[in-house]
Amino acid sequence: MATIELKQVEKKFGESYAVKPLDMTINSGEFIVLLGPSGCGKTTTLRMISGLEAVTSGNILFDGKDVTWLHPSARDIAFVFQFFALYSHLSARENIAFPLQAQGVKREEINQRVKAVAEMLKIEHVLNARPGALSGGDQQRVALARALVRQPAAFLMDEPLGALDAEFRESMRAEIKQLHLKQNATTVYVTHDQVEAMAMGDRIVVMSNAVVQQAATPSEVYHNPANLFVARFIGSPGMNLIQGTYQAGKIQLPGSNVMTVPEAWKQTLDSKLPADGKVIVGFRPEAVEVAADGEIHSTTYASDLHGGYTMLHLQLDRDVIVHARAAREMRYQLSETVRFNVQPNMVRFFHPETEAALQNGSHTT
Amino acid sequence: MMANQTYQAQSPVNFSTRVDKVGRRPMIASAIKGIVAIIIAFIMLIPVIWMGMTAFKSLSDAVSVPPKVFFTPTVEGFVNLFTQQRQLTDAEVAQYQERTDLNWAEQLVLQRQKTIIGQSQFAGQLLNSLIIAGASTIFSVIFAVLSAYAFSRFEIPGKDDLLFFILSQRMLPAVVVTVPIFLMYRQLGLYDTHIGMIFLYTSFNLSFAVWLLKGFIDEIPKEYEEAALVDGYTRLQAFRKVVLPQAVTGIAATTVFSLIFSWNEYAFALMLTSDRARTAPPSIPLILGTGGIEWSTIAAGSMLFLIPVVIVTFILRKHLLRGVTFGAIRKG
Amino acid sequence: MAQTSTDITSLQSSQATRQPRQRQMSDLRIMQLFILPTVILLILMNIFPLIYSLYLSFTNYSVIADKAPEWIGIQNYTTILSDQRFWANFATTGRYALISVILQTLIGFGLALLLRNKFKGSGLVTTLILVPMMLSPIVVATFWKLMFNPSLGIFNYLLGYTDINTSPLWLGDPNLALWAIVIVDVWMWSPFVMLLCLAGLSAIPEYLYEAAAIDRASAWFQFRRITLPQVMPLLLIAVLFRTIEAFKQFDLVMGLTSGGPGDVTETVSIRLYKLAFQGQYDTGMSSALAYIILIIIIAVSNLYIRSLNKARGA
Repeated sequence: MATIELKQVEKKFGESYAVKPLDMTINSGEFIVLLGPSGCGKTTTLRMISGLEAVTSGNILFDGKDVTWLHPSARDIAFVFQFFALYSHLSARENIAFPLQAQGVKREEINQRVKAVAEMLKIEHVLNARPGALSGGDQQRVALARALVRQPAAFLMDEPLGALDAEFRESMRAEIKQLHLKQNATTVYVTHDQVEAMAMGDRIVVMSNAVVQQAATPSEVYHNPANLFVARFIGSPGMNLIQGTYQAGKIQLPGSNVMTVPEAWKQTLDSKLPADGKVIVGFRPEAVEVAADGEIHSTTYASDLHGGYTMLHLQLDRDVIVHARAAREMRYQLSETVRFNVQPNMVRFFHPETEAALQNGSHTT
Repeated sequence: MMANQTYQAQSPVNFSTRVDKVGRRPMIASAIKGIVAIIIAFIMLIPVIWMGMTAFKSLSDAVSVPPKVFFTPTVEGFVNLFTQQRQLTDAEVAQYQERTDLNWAEQLVLQRQKTIIGQSQFAGQLLNSLIIAGASTIFSVIFAVLSAYAFSRFEIPGKDDLLFFILSQRMLPAVVVTVPIFLMYRQLGLYDTHIGMIFLYTSFNLSFAVWLLKGFIDEIPKEYEEAALVDGYTRLQAFRKVVLPQAVTGIAATTVFSLIFSWNEYAFALMLTSDRARTAPPSIPLILGTGGIEWSTIAAGSMLFLIPVVIVTFILRKHLLRGVTFGAIRKG
Repeated sequence: MAQTSTDITSLQSSQATRQPRQRQMSDLRIMQLFILPTVILLILMNIFPLIYSLYLSFTNYSVIADKAPEWIGIQNYTTILSDQRFWANFATTGRYALISVILQTLIGFGLALLLRNKFKGSGLVTTLILVPMMLSPIVVATFWKLMFNPSLGIFNYLLGYTDINTSPLWLGDPNLALWAIVIVDVWMWSPFVMLLCLAGLSAIPEYLYEAAAIDRASAWFQFRRITLPQVMPLLLIAVLFRTIEAFKQFDLVMGLTSGGPGDVTETVSIRLYKLAFQGQYDTGMSSALAYIILIIIIAVSNLYIRSLNKARGA
């Protein structure tokens, strides 16, 4: 299994950047998820790693060896496509054997390997069928089998679950994760679905506008987003982000609210904010603690039942609404006054101009 | 026959029968439309039917005034089409009538006091049509598959202009390009040769075939080849093992269209062949018997020539639209 | 589970035995090789002849004269442009193209409206109606000649003329000959317009009609505001294509009248043919005429291909 390094890799289409110069190291055996909205450059990055797309400049290294200009077939990778790319004129078995035939593997060994991988993915019973006759899930399993049978240096997957129904997606997600744990193969996985990314990735690389916004573990990305984009993009709904003005340990928030800054952050805010004290306060819906003596006053704007919990939409001011996750049995009338606090260890602060998260060196999750 | 259930469900007529539940007018209207369509189809086919009937008329039935709708079918026209005949004198007629070794065709022509003295050129011309259409189709489809693939998959500088140029060749009237080609062929000794005609028809069909096939290849997802590329195949192997099998329908449709176009071609054949390589189309209107225009012979020749096209039209019916618009328009 | 997983890993050793990769052709080379035959053939059979005939159009060359081409400048062009007969040829072609395209459009669109409603056997009926456009035009012309024949043809009888002395002489009457050709052209090519219109009609989403029905739009309103604009792009393609084809029409005219009677049906293609391959074999003059036709055709086909590309993009 290979370590993949990207060094100042960039891709331009004409004058516009698909991927701005990017450095990234994917460790051997790691499951990396490239996550971002469509058009952010994640698929282009994946295709450059595979060699299907030529880089405009920069280098790609597999285990220290420069493969930048190597043909895809010479890179020893497997690629799983969103729409499976199974050949409709071949049976499932022939599809799986296809890459082995390319390498001139002996017939007996092909049979043996196809059998083994089919067993592993539990698709022995569909081997003789044509892809058209298979369910979406089985088609995807065959596509995975075609990738797995190679024992490649790395797996590259481009939204492999995107074409599946919601119910299949969940179980296939678990299957792919399980496979990864067993095989421990270096995997680069592209998706726009943050739930998928959180569930599967060892590390998530969040991309937007051709630039990597943050590369970190799922929990780090969730709890300590590097900037406003990540804070908004991850989580559903995303992080609550409220504009405020900082002064001497207090933050003025909309609706004449005042929030006390946790002790640990005071020094950071004193030194790192612009002179006018403008700051963006961020906290996840689950950081909201409704309390009768809460520091922040709001009125209920809407309240959605989610079964497991209740999502409150709390209005601080005319157009400032905070999402708060409350216990499932809580019921509120509209326009009722609700007071809440934000858990001190779950509040984050962002610079209003650079949009970057402020660091106080003592994050806890 | 083409109407399957899902298609019907989408067609706007169902909407009117379903939404306008008030009154039965829409149902009746659509029934009337159907009947009118059938009548029109019949009227449109009268010329073809008439020609088919004429092909089986005797020479005298074919020229009867007023035209005969009911007649005794005969294959006289076909016999005349394939044979050369000689008028017999009265004495010879009597002599021939005595003979018992005449085959059915000879007996048939004897009724008009003629005898068969050899084969006509028609069979040879049909064969020429077949050879020239067949060979030029093979070449143009092979060349077209290659360039359609290149046009579909690669960034080619000036691609749109080149494609436009290729298609514009198809728009040129044959007469416009024939003069210089005629001179060139005369110089190269290609005038009235099979090779010359194959060459010409290949280029003539190529522009159309490139466009049609590009449409088909565009529809094959790029991922298929990319999967093959990362699986360790070269571009050429991917083309052969993945693209070609997936494009089989398109290649078949293009082949048949190309066959039809070459088979039907008249202007080039008229101007660039005279004898050895002459195909059937320029000859059919010139089929002349020994006495005046033999309409049943002409009809017989026309019918033999058209039957393959009619059959193929039915086979191709799902691809007709693509074929006649150079692959630009596909039914969804 | 653990068992199968070791199976897979145990096979890993075989990777080492993989044969060395062959040197591959670059995509660029493949691209060049793939388009080369097409480009060569086009240059040989289209570009070269066109350049050659451009040259010839400035000479007085004749293929039957044993004389080298002699440069005469633009004389051929001025002769053509100042000759009444050429203008008549263009007028005939234009009139023929205009009438037949209009009729084809109306009939083709009408047929499409009839056939858009599926009924039992409508697929078969549609295909039957499409048969004429697939046939060889010269053969079509030949059997229509039989149909038009005043005594033994069936056409006049179908129109209700029973007396051959008073029935119209379609191909022999200078007033009717062009119409006769138009009739055959319309017979042959209305199905083409129908085919494209059917494609356009089948692509109209049903919800447009549903919304209109809910808004109580009249049938005429629906036709004018939904059907017509939606079919328009394809109808335009059909019209342009038929215009080009009508302009270059050769086979049908040749088969039916050869330009006669007199020269009332002499279209530019027929004139070009006569000029180049009959009588004096006036190669230079015919090349000049060919170029004039070429320019007109290129202008119309430019429009045509543009609307094709638009349809393709849509």
